[in-house]
Amino acid sequence: MLAYIVRRLAFGFATVLGVLFVLFVLFFAVADPDDMAIRAIGERASPETYAAWKRNHGYDKPLILNPKHGWTSHRRYTETLLVEHYARMLSFRFGRSDSDDTPIWRRIREGAGPSLSLTLPLFVLGLVIGVALSLAVAFFRDTYIDRSVLVVCMLGMSVASLIYIIGGQYLIGKLLRWFPISGFDPDPAVIGRFLAIPILIGVLAEFGGTVRLYRTVFLEEVNRDYVRTARAKGCGEIRVMIRHVLRNALLPIITNVVLAIPFLFIGSILFESFFGIPGLGALTVEAIGGNDFSTLRTIVYIGALLYILGQILTDICYSLADPRVRLGAGASG
Amino acid sequence: MPRISSRLWIGALALVMSVVACTNDPYPGADARRKIYYTSFNEAPKSLDPAVAYDTAAHAVTGNVYGSLLEYHYLKRPYTLIPGLAKALPTRETAADGSVSYAFELRPGLLYHADRCFALAGKGADGKALRTREVVAADVAFELMRVADGKVGSPVVRKFATIKGFLEFRKRLRALRQASPAFSRQPVHVQYARAGGVAGIVVTGKYGLRLDLSRPDPQLKYWFAMPFTSPVPWEAVQYYDGEDGRPHFRDHPVGTGPFRLAIYQKRLRMVLVKNESWYGVRHPEWRAPGATYPSEGSAADRRRGRLDPAYAGKPLPFIQRVEFRLEKESIPAFNKFLQGYFDRSGIISESFDKIVLNDALSPEMRARGIRLEKSVQASLFYIGFNMLDPTVGAKAGRRGRKLRQAMSLAIDVPEYLRLFQNGRGVVAHSLIPPGLYGYSRKYRNPFSDFDLARARKLLAEAGYPKGIDKKTGEPLKITFDTGSTSAQAMLRYQYFINSWRRIGVDVEVNATNYNQFLEKLKLGAYQIYFTGWIADFPDPENFLFLLESSSGRKESGGSNYSNFFNLRYDLLYHAMRAMENGPKRLAAIREMVSIVERERPWIELFHDESYVLSHPWVKNVKSFGLSYPVLKYLDLEPAQRARLRKSWNQPIRWPLWIALALLAAFILPGVVTFFRERQ
Repeated sequence: MLAYIVRRLAFGFATVLGVLFVLFVLFFAVADPDDMAIRAIGERASPETYAAWKRNHGYDKPLILNPKHGWTSHRRYTETLLVEHYARMLSFRFGRSDSDDTPIWRRIREGAGPSLSLTLPLFVLGLVIGVALSLAVAFFRDTYIDRSVLVVCMLGMSVASLIYIIGGQYLIGKLLRWFPISGFDPDPAVIGRFLAIPILIGVLAEFGGTVRLYRTVFLEEVNRDYVRTARAKGCGEIRVMIRHVLRNALLPIITNVVLAIPFLFIGSILFESFFGIPGLGALTVEAIGGNDFSTLRTIVYIGALLYILGQILTDICYSLADPRVRLGAGASG
Repeated sequence: MPRISSRLWIGALALVMSVVACTNDPYPGADARRKIYYTSFNEAPKSLDPAVAYDTAAHAVTGNVYGSLLEYHYLKRPYTLIPGLAKALPTRETAADGSVSYAFELRPGLLYHADRCFALAGKGADGKALRTREVVAADVAFELMRVADGKVGSPVVRKFATIKGFLEFRKRLRALRQASPAFSRQPVHVQYARAGGVAGIVVTGKYGLRLDLSRPDPQLKYWFAMPFTSPVPWEAVQYYDGEDGRPHFRDHPVGTGPFRLAIYQKRLRMVLVKNESWYGVRHPEWRAPGATYPSEGSAADRRRGRLDPAYAGKPLPFIQRVEFRLEKESIPAFNKFLQGYFDRSGIISESFDKIVLNDALSPEMRARGIRLEKSVQASLFYIGFNMLDPTVGAKAGRRGRKLRQAMSLAIDVPEYLRLFQNGRGVVAHSLIPPGLYGYSRKYRNPFSDFDLARARKLLAEAGYPKGIDKKTGEPLKITFDTGSTSAQAMLRYQYFINSWRRIGVDVEVNATNYNQFLEKLKLGAYQIYFTGWIADFPDPENFLFLLESSSGRKESGGSNYSNFFNLRYDLLYHAMRAMENGPKRLAAIREMVSIVERERPWIELFHDESYVLSHPWVKNVKSFGLSYPVLKYLDLEPAQRARLRKSWNQPIRWPLWIALALLAAFILPGVVTFFRERQ
């Protein structure tokens, strides 16, 4: 197990290096630092202002080779944007925002709270409701309840998230006046009001796909021998569903859950943008719109890191949830 | 089974409770009865540095946090300057050599709002670090030098170029910094002193400041009613350097205005609170014109309740706090206004026809007590030609002029306003907007009235009958460069394209983002463009300078995007600029307008008209027409607001109960049948 974890971490690290190279090509080779400076401080600044901006943001070095130093000097290769980029990212020194000079760590720290306050309850509620409802549908399989829920799921999946958002804001916020249409306030007295509509809509929007997936998983388990044995032993139907079926269907659920957890930090671009929640999703959109390359680069990097981490965690959780899965060097599973 | 059932019941009960207790009120209940003014912003200001901030979003904060030496009378029109932090309007002295000086005197006893940066100034009599200090004339001089400082990046350097030694100081400072890194490491105010300061900025005493100008510049005084010239403490600039967890000065204003910035969360909210150190609060007995509610105004002001004796002469400000909440999308923001959660709002296009009927408020809005304030902005939106272009520009001579005139006649501006602006706007006949000196309601530009027959005739005279170049036999093709790629903007551009197509001119839109558009302007790589200008101050010079040749975009990077050059226009501009308002100046302005009319470097389209809605609990509302801080004049009635908000926002819960009942009616038979069959 330990060897496997080490190997996965090594592969993960190699992937991170690859991601960093792609980021370098996209953010430095395609978008020139001079261009970044013009976009950040406008086109009417003096040459020394541009130079100072590039120096302050660490863009004042050559891309790959530093011609100031000879071929034999290591500084020819190390005093470059490429090495600087790797060193900064790997040591989590993200520097300052290209648009307003704020330390990027501060922006991420400030954005993570609002993002989590939306994505965490949305994730937990979505999971609990999704699993409970699929279990119920599997329980009432082949009845009109089961079929009706499936029809509703299909209808729900066919509608774009944007329609849910606009419709939800209009119906719940404007017509029914239950909660504020948009906005955010971290004050514990009012935060729930702002999150109510996005959470409600988020759960509804995800509901179709989740229920259909988990229902299929549960139905597969329901027809297995161990379920029949449990029933034969006199186990009640609800007990069978919760103690036996749910437990054995955990593997695909865990896959979904663990893969989703890292992205909770990144937030939801669509929900945050439409509801005015100042999280990391909205920050991403702002960074794109504001030519804030350093922030965008950092968010993409953190997203990639979390994804890789999520993959490793999923593999480890597999073995914990299902002892049949072996992760040793010679294992096939 | 019984345990699960009880949990389900608890869950259902919690859901019911939360729906019963639900409210769409975005604010804490405790704030409902306080004098808090609520408004929105859609993007955080890029900088709150008064030497740099030049957009309305930033001005909404800097204008209220930084007091200015001069201000405008809130109610009087035409706009009238009154003393602010200065004791009186500046006195003008003309020397024997014709050079002019302006002398200001600050009120003694003005204080900055409390801030920890003043610890740098030393300790007070009690031995504790200072929390504030008195405002002195040297602070105004310091701020003016910051405007000159190239490192600060002020966009208005050239506006102060008439101050003797202003540009020389800028060059000297740059040279000293380049020559010595040790010099650059010193505090900025020390650098300025060592660079010798600006020759024309003379601190004549603790409160006295004199500006020596190289030539008369009557417009300069207007810049003292803007935050660019507000006193700024050197301590704040030095302390707030963005290092060791301290914010940048551009994010932490320290000023002398009626409000101070208490909370600045760029992606969430900005909160201004009443500045207890402001002279209007500390010295109401001064009855200073900038710190008391005016008692003079027009008959319309009296009719609209702006001259209520209950307010006349009362010390400002009336509001305790101002909350700016981030609202990126205009539709939710407008809905919140209709729900009573924002106190004032513009009207979004999507709802315009519901809100305004026959140019007046709809009965529904009137029943709610909402009021509409209309005002024509000191602005101009126009289509410009690049005069350096060989086809549409000056190089094409008479042909080019006739082509521009023909294209001008082909645009039906009233129709454009109806289609895209909900009729909001005044058709522009010249580059001077209504309300500014030199504007004439009677003046009709012969090339502004839509006339296709005349346009076609002029096009033929230009050598392009039906859009075909007589010389080459090829169709005339022109490119229209734009700074927006949004679908809404493209529709607007298409309107112009279709207008020109009707006379046979084939124009192609070349849409790019704004930065790329600016790059094209810089390179002169364009033929036609669309843009607008909003006045900095109420003087025609602020529009006429846009076509003065030394501001040519390609040559100097200035605001003359059309690269228009006309010697007579330039001569008149420089003469007019140095004149006070009077018949001579008016004659010069009229001649300049006629040159633009004939040469057509621009197709003047419209002057924007603002429609602002206010709830009945907001008092003393008047649209100002310029980007100018007026929050200190507004008052609120929180009890009325709380009552109306409550009555407008009663949650409608019955659909939930019906939905739950229908769901239960749908599921229960199935559940009962299922368990019965199992048994």
